[in-house]
Amino acid sequence: MDGEESRRLMQYVSGLKAGLPVLFGFVPVGIAYAVLASQAGFSPLETMLMSMTVFAGASQIMAVGMYAQGAGIAAIAITTFILNLRHLIMSTCVMNRMKGTPAPLRILASFFVTDESFAIFTTLEEKRCTIWFYLGMVTLTWSSWQLGGLIGIIASGILPAIVTASFGIALYAMFISLLMPNLRGNARLALLVVMTACMNTALSSFMDSSWALIASTLACAFLGVFFVDTGDE
Amino acid sequence: MKMERMILIAAMVVVTFIPRAIPAALIERMRFPKKVEKFLNLIPYTAMASLIFPGILTVDGSNVLIGLLGGAAAAVLAYLRAPLIMCVVSAIVVDMLLYLI
Repeated sequence: MDGEESRRLMQYVSGLKAGLPVLFGFVPVGIAYAVLASQAGFSPLETMLMSMTVFAGASQIMAVGMYAQGAGIAAIAITTFILNLRHLIMSTCVMNRMKGTPAPLRILASFFVTDESFAIFTTLEEKRCTIWFYLGMVTLTWSSWQLGGLIGIIASGILPAIVTASFGIALYAMFISLLMPNLRGNARLALLVVMTACMNTALSSFMDSSWALIASTLACAFLGVFFVDTGDE
Repeated sequence: MKMERMILIAAMVVVTFIPRAIPAALIERMRFPKKVEKFLNLIPYTAMASLIFPGILTVDGSNVLIGLLGGAAAAVLAYLRAPLIMCVVSAIVVDMLLYLI
């Protein structure tokens, strides 16, 4: 193995490790999804096929829910598209940190963009942002999602209710923990985060939550340009 | 396998992949001005703030403390620069204890 290959391998392994916290969040949600899918009439094979090829937790749960209520394919597809429009923004941020990566690899990488991989990757120090780190990280996030689905199909009754309920906090805890270190000593950034949280909470009370998220994310990042110091100017 | 569900899955693959892939296909051609770079650099923070609130208030539909105290545990540990995995596990443990009492 030459130097370049071993460097890539190290980046890959470090990405795998960085993805580990997502395991705690994806497995229980994956279980919930598989249980709902089976109730909606999806076979185990169909349930896993969707998890492997769509890889979007909230959308999958919503889709099987709508399907169970008799919604048509077009309605489900449009709702899914709206729910996933936020990935347009997130993928732009991820790809902006991956410039120089060949296009086919970038497109492959984009399939694995989720809220979680976006959050980890874009809060990383710039020099650690490589395609190999990213691929290691999403190997773990994608596998965690499949593992959750499998457990849901095979043994949804195995985990006590208290355990699965307690795992509901996992992904929120991860987002908070990714945010906090960046807010230390940057009061203006902290203010921006609080502003955004308030705005999204307010908007969500009267509009669809996926549009609210997009609106508050973009509007507040725009406002932040004028008063937050990101240290790169 | 039922054809209708196969078509549904295929349709979902398409509509979820499009927003992810467009930036991957176009990014090399884009050269952002400094202000736009800054805007993009702020998005992770505003996106995460939006992902946390108001969702965390309804982690448990009947008890807002499950979300708030679990989240607070993670926040305090992360502020003290604890490793990410420890913050996440602590939040889970706090919620398990809350459910037990």
